[in-house]
Amino acid sequence: MPRSVTLLGLSLLLMWMSAAHADELLNRPTDRTYDLIVKSGYLKVGVYRDFPPFSFEQDGRPAGVDVEIGRAIARAMGVGFRVHWIVPDETLSDDLRNNVWKGHYLDKTRLADVMMRVPYDKEYAYMRDSTGEMINGEVVLFGPYQQEHWAIAYNGNRIDSVPTMAIFQYHPIGVELDTLPAIYLSSGLRGRLREQVHHFRSVGQAFEGLATGEVEAVMAMRSEVDYQMKLRPDRSLKLAATGFPGIGKQQWDVGMAVKSTHRQLGYKIEAIVDGMVRSGEMKAVFDRYGLRYSMPGFYEEILGASNQ
Amino acid sequence: MRSTTIGKQFAASALALAVSFGAYAVTDDDIMNDQNTTDDVVSYGLGLAGQRYSPSDTLNTDNVKSLQPVWAFSFGSEKMRGQESQPMVKDGVMYVSGSYSRVYAIDARTGEEIWQYDARLPDGIMPCCDVVNRGVALYDNMVIFGTLDAKLVALDKDTGKVLWIKKVADYQAGYSITAAPMVVKGKLITGVSGGEFGIVGKIEAYDPKNGELLWSRPTVEGHMGYVYKDGKKIENGISGGKAGLTWPGDMWKNGGAATWLGGTYDASTDSIFFGTGNPAPWNSYLRPGDNLFSSSRLAIDPDDGSIKWHFQTTPHDGWDYDGVNELVSFDYQDENGKTVKAAATADRNGFMYVLDRTNGHFIRGFPFVDKITWAKGLDKNGRPIYNTVDGRPGNPADTQGEKGKSVVAQPAFLGGKNWMPIAYSQDTGLFYVPSNEWSMEIWNEPTSYKKGAAYLGAGFTIHPANKDFIGVLRAMDPKTGKEVWRYNNTAPLWGGVLTTAGNLVFTGTPEGYLKAFDARTGKELYKFNTGSGIVGSPITWTMDGEQYVSVASGWGGAVPLWGGEVAKVVKDFNQGGMVWTFKLPKDRVVSR
Repeated sequence: MPRSVTLLGLSLLLMWMSAAHADELLNRPTDRTYDLIVKSGYLKVGVYRDFPPFSFEQDGRPAGVDVEIGRAIARAMGVGFRVHWIVPDETLSDDLRNNVWKGHYLDKTRLADVMMRVPYDKEYAYMRDSTGEMINGEVVLFGPYQQEHWAIAYNGNRIDSVPTMAIFQYHPIGVELDTLPAIYLSSGLRGRLREQVHHFRSVGQAFEGLATGEVEAVMAMRSEVDYQMKLRPDRSLKLAATGFPGIGKQQWDVGMAVKSTHRQLGYKIEAIVDGMVRSGEMKAVFDRYGLRYSMPGFYEEILGASNQ
Repeated sequence: MRSTTIGKQFAASALALAVSFGAYAVTDDDIMNDQNTTDDVVSYGLGLAGQRYSPSDTLNTDNVKSLQPVWAFSFGSEKMRGQESQPMVKDGVMYVSGSYSRVYAIDARTGEEIWQYDARLPDGIMPCCDVVNRGVALYDNMVIFGTLDAKLVALDKDTGKVLWIKKVADYQAGYSITAAPMVVKGKLITGVSGGEFGIVGKIEAYDPKNGELLWSRPTVEGHMGYVYKDGKKIENGISGGKAGLTWPGDMWKNGGAATWLGGTYDASTDSIFFGTGNPAPWNSYLRPGDNLFSSSRLAIDPDDGSIKWHFQTTPHDGWDYDGVNELVSFDYQDENGKTVKAAATADRNGFMYVLDRTNGHFIRGFPFVDKITWAKGLDKNGRPIYNTVDGRPGNPADTQGEKGKSVVAQPAFLGGKNWMPIAYSQDTGLFYVPSNEWSMEIWNEPTSYKKGAAYLGAGFTIHPANKDFIGVLRAMDPKTGKEVWRYNNTAPLWGGVLTTAGNLVFTGTPEGYLKAFDARTGKELYKFNTGSGIVGSPITWTMDGEQYVSVASGWGGAVPLWGGEVAKVVKDFNQGGMVWTFKLPKDRVVSR
């Protein structure tokens, strides 16, 4: 092959890659602004990997409420949906850096256009480090679409009822490793439940432990608990009505994030998601997965608690 | 893998020589005697004991000013970050690893590449601990190293072709390998790196010929160790006897204690010494107890992986002080003239410990940093006397939606000393310790999230302890605990140390300098800027009657990953990826 033809082919390839995907030559992500996304014909939606019921693979296809919402956003924008799986790092700030604004140092060109399931918290958004720099200033948190809570499911054959957390001094309870329930049950309540806490790699495995009798209850996010209850139509599984004294955050709003220079994309997506929340389409997505749905606090104020 | 034409020619001729003389293979004897031979470097630490002492004295305090660069070699590509490797040299060939799991064979005389191997890393890999690699092992006809996706790879030393690849642990579960493996009595020994939560450290031995697992020893109490014979997995005792002695509930199942820095070996007691990392999770209030064998030194039987003894430097670690630091064997005469078989280690927690290496008993301990706030001292058994007033970070669960009270702890979690290895001079009887003076401020941070959910995190920041320097290279007397001399460096020190019979101490700085000091006085005698920060470990050897020094250059590692005030000191340092090689030309040996 003549050298010039090879070079032409190479430069065409590079042009295609930089327009569509990433600037491989300079090892940096393409700046996928709103216009470029529309031109490229697809939206890359960042969701956590293996994280049911929010985002996971089912029969080889992306599934889950966050995936469904991402699909709906892409549809409303008139572009295709592409999944960007996120392997969680130690903190949310790490995930935002690795997936929304900078890229992970092992794969700098790989970024999502928008990331789902980002807690919508003004205090978090404006946090500063010890030198006064904004910690999350490179991203915009926007578009709250759900409020998340904590919940406990328990085996009704072993536990009569859960009047307070104190009963878990006597009954083994499962949690996912390195989550707030793990910290809460192990170090909170003066450590009195500590010996009963069993750690699992995922909420799904904790429910396996509930099925085998290794544990008699599981504490996790309400959506995770609802989904596992739906997967396991076991009549002995019950939902606890107890509160969680001293847990800090009882509930929090969940929204999305884009790069701070991509506000135009953020406004567009915010409008789409806002319509979904107001029209009831959002609730319908959660219904399909068997999950209770709570509107974000933001909407409670506007629309009134009756819409809950 | 690619091979240059020159490299192919060289490899072919080397192969021919190897066939005709039966030479060039690295033997167990070569490795066991590495500390005594000056014409090669075939172990991590210039000898398995890790003294990093060379008996070469051609290069010395009188002529080191004539040390000259002879070649520099670029690791290539845009992977310019964190070159923490120690080169190896055998028969005129240098074997050195680069960051991102790359290995190079280089003609040690000319700096020309013979071959290069780039490990193919899986997509979506999230190594916990940066992209560094600290070196290779040489054995027989092989170059063996660990990869970021937690595999061992054996390459043909002449061609760079893969001989075998063995998965040590699952990278998807958070495991990685960054340390150099070592060969002890025909067994390939490795540890594992791992993230903050969910992993369990282990030390394993493999058959270097084919990568078959020989034994496995978990470093957290309660986990079963195994030996493998004829394809059978045979139980070899639970680490620590049984589960739950020093851990609450089922916390031992995911107890951390990663063995991420590799080990050393002492032939006189036939023991492998490994340090272990911090216990998981980070929050110490979740796991009351000593949490064995986290933040400890373990003496391991190389034949079956049994634990002979342990010494825990930071029981119930709540500061991420880790305990991986290398344990370096040395002998000294006590006041009665009796030889003491000792071993010393400079811990992340700021204390240096001298142990009886035959049984792990504490002989003495002393601070090797200017200030320690988390403990008031060590008791007669070497256990820390905690500062119970304001020494331990607060319990995040006590935070009721408020930002918790700050606790200032010194040293910072990056350690009085981090990974960078110390050196011991048999001539001066001193340890040369690359250390850092910094503190950390920790507070409970209720406004934190993880994987879409509310979380209770800790906020922290690192403060330099002094205005004008962070790094301190120190000469410490292990018999008295006294600092004999010190050299202050503006940026934190993050590279290994080398000492020689020429009364020299070498180390590199993040500012880019390879520096040489008088081993007795600390007087700076030589410096050369390599163009990027040095975070690797220097070596020396002799070839064609001349003494050489080599060091990898390429700023990176953990320091630039952390923001705050330390970032201000290092933010202008450029990354890189090279090996620099120097020699003292023959005609400069006598130069006064």
